[in-house]
Amino acid sequence: MDNGIIIRTENLTKYYNKGKANEVLATSGVSVGIRRGDFAILKGPSGSGKTTLLSLLGCMTRPTSGSIMVEGRDISHLPERFLTEIRRSTCGFIFQQFHLIQGMSVLQNVMLPLYPTGADLTKLRKKAEGLLEGLGMLKRRDFPVQGLSGGEQQRTAIARALINDPEIVLADEPTAHLDTALSRDFMNTMKELWEKGKTVIIASHDPIVFENESAGLVVEMRDGAVKNITRK
Amino acid sequence: MSLNSHLNVLDFTLLSLLRRKFKNFGIILVFTFIVFITGSILFLSYSFKREALLILKGSPELIVQRMSAGRHELIPADISKEILKIPGVSGVEPRYWGYYYDPLVKANYTILASSETLPANNHLLQGRLPGPEDKGVAAVGRGVAKARFLDIGSSISLLSSGGDAMDFDVVGVFETESELLTADLIVLGQPDVVRLFRMPAGMATDLAVSVTNETEAPVIAGKIRYIFPDTRPILRKEIVRTYDAVFGWRSGLILTLFAGALVAFIILAWDKATGLSAEEKKEIGILKAIGWETSDIIEMKFWEGLVISLSSFLLGIILAYIHVYFFGASVFAPALKGWSVIYPDFRLAPFIDPYQIAMLMALTVIPYIASTIIPSWKAAITDPDEVVRG
Amino acid sequence: MRRSTVFGLFVLLCVCCLAALGVTSEIRVSRFLVQSRDLSGITAALKLTDISFSDDARYTRNPSQADIFSAFQDYPGSIEHFPSGSVTPPPDFSSLGAPITVKRR
Repeated sequence: MDNGIIIRTENLTKYYNKGKANEVLATSGVSVGIRRGDFAILKGPSGSGKTTLLSLLGCMTRPTSGSIMVEGRDISHLPERFLTEIRRSTCGFIFQQFHLIQGMSVLQNVMLPLYPTGADLTKLRKKAEGLLEGLGMLKRRDFPVQGLSGGEQQRTAIARALINDPEIVLADEPTAHLDTALSRDFMNTMKELWEKGKTVIIASHDPIVFENESAGLVVEMRDGAVKNITRK
Repeated sequence: MSLNSHLNVLDFTLLSLLRRKFKNFGIILVFTFIVFITGSILFLSYSFKREALLILKGSPELIVQRMSAGRHELIPADISKEILKIPGVSGVEPRYWGYYYDPLVKANYTILASSETLPANNHLLQGRLPGPEDKGVAAVGRGVAKARFLDIGSSISLLSSGGDAMDFDVVGVFETESELLTADLIVLGQPDVVRLFRMPAGMATDLAVSVTNETEAPVIAGKIRYIFPDTRPILRKEIVRTYDAVFGWRSGLILTLFAGALVAFIILAWDKATGLSAEEKKEIGILKAIGWETSDIIEMKFWEGLVISLSSFLLGIILAYIHVYFFGASVFAPALKGWSVIYPDFRLAPFIDPYQIAMLMALTVIPYIASTIIPSWKAAITDPDEVVRG
Repeated sequence: MRRSTVFGLFVLLCVCCLAALGVTSEIRVSRFLVQSRDLSGITAALKLTDISFSDDARYTRNPSQADIFSAFQDYPGSIEHFPSGSVTPPPDFSSLGAPITVKRR
């Protein structure tokens, strides 16, 4: 592992609907390196490719060309099974729309990622309750998620992202649906995680996020390419 | 993957199904109904066939009818002497029988002359059969006894073809257990049958031929037809085959009656299974994005299909058994009985063909599981980042 | 209790129920097999050929004895009695030798 780099991309290019009329070039020639314990922000206007880069970093999709090294291992050509494995063991993803499963309780949503691993459900429940407690959501654990406020839904999503003790926490436009106070809360939560040693990567164009004093690495993107990388 | 991982996925599937209680219990209800109907038909027809084959084991090997102008006619009893000369024929006996319409209860009876006595240890007859030459006595089936409120010692009056009333003392009543064979029978002595129907002297309804070796029966039948071209020999084998077919057709009728329900279910299952809703697609995407593998998603869908179809199959088949063997197939009875006034209770012996049950299971459970898994396949193999991008 | 356990118990209960029904089936069938000797005894003594199943027409009371040539009675299209008439199959012609076929020009 060179220089404690946890994810490195080389010349990363991603097309959507390649070869079709609605072909979109989402990122082109992106090369970034993110170190273990970085607090990284992908900054840029909407359509700049930051969400695509975030999906690529989070092993949600494979690049059209170029390579991604996660912990020194090239994952760009791994079969889906291994990609899922890496995603499950190293990444925790917080979606812009939260993407909780409707009709299920907060606790069930948080436990969900580890169901197929054969985890002991009693232990899993304890762990999920612990995470919810840390986020101040324990009293809501049996609430169906559709009845929660935006902030509560996000905290549920954070707890779900953390259930597998991920090395890297990724968040896509996390403050888009939150007011200023809740946005600051979110950033504080992220800071706490970062202080605990997690690598945090956030894609956002919200000043509250990228002007945050913890943000050690800001990758500025425009039109699918990296415009500027600042490391504090 | 460990066993616990499968149980966890099953747990999640059940949780997920319970979210749409109304819809999923609705599907189970309709599915159970279909299995119930189909299972009832299978039970009923299989038991009926097996019973009929056992009961008719004692039938005459060969019946010779006479045809005249395209109709079944009385046959001269003395041609039995000619038939007896055919090698392989061990006995010929004329049968005297016919139908009698009773306007009082609007029922058809089958009137039959007795020829042999029953062994004394036969438990299915209360009292005795009239002897072949007895006059003024009758044994009746349970259906007739019920319709005319008869018991041993009472008498029944029938109107002969000559217009005069004939009274018979009831000396025997068949037990309920023999209803499938005897419900509408009135057994009289031979002279009474001849008088009742005003059959010309020397004529019989048909001839029962016994043969020494049943495999030769078709050859003997051919010879009889050669010597008496106006006759129609009916082999026991054909009788049995008739019963093999009867329930095939009858079950066909019931299937037709319930085809509507079946089609409705197929449409429902098709719609449910193939039209993966946007919500379900999104859920599959979320599960993939949070770390479920494609195989986990497929497994979840497998459980979903199995839970619904196996529950329905088991419930349906249990209900079908209870319906047919404890309640006498009461749902179908009206269709099966037709317009008959006297009909037997369907207290069938529960003969079960495990092969048929296995077939029914294969034809209900497997297609349903397949139609649940296949449409979700495409959603399961797409990249999870579609969810990320919304 | 886990939901999967509940489902497992439900399936187990149903299977036990089926097994119990299977046992009653065995018992009732064996009882019938004893009784069927008496039944076929009656069949033999009275020389019966058919099951008394539905006596609304003579070809449904004695399907094996129905006179096959009577016009509009048995075949084709024996529909005069619904429903039993419509579901009683045409008699077996196999004993009459070669089946009759009408050639079209």
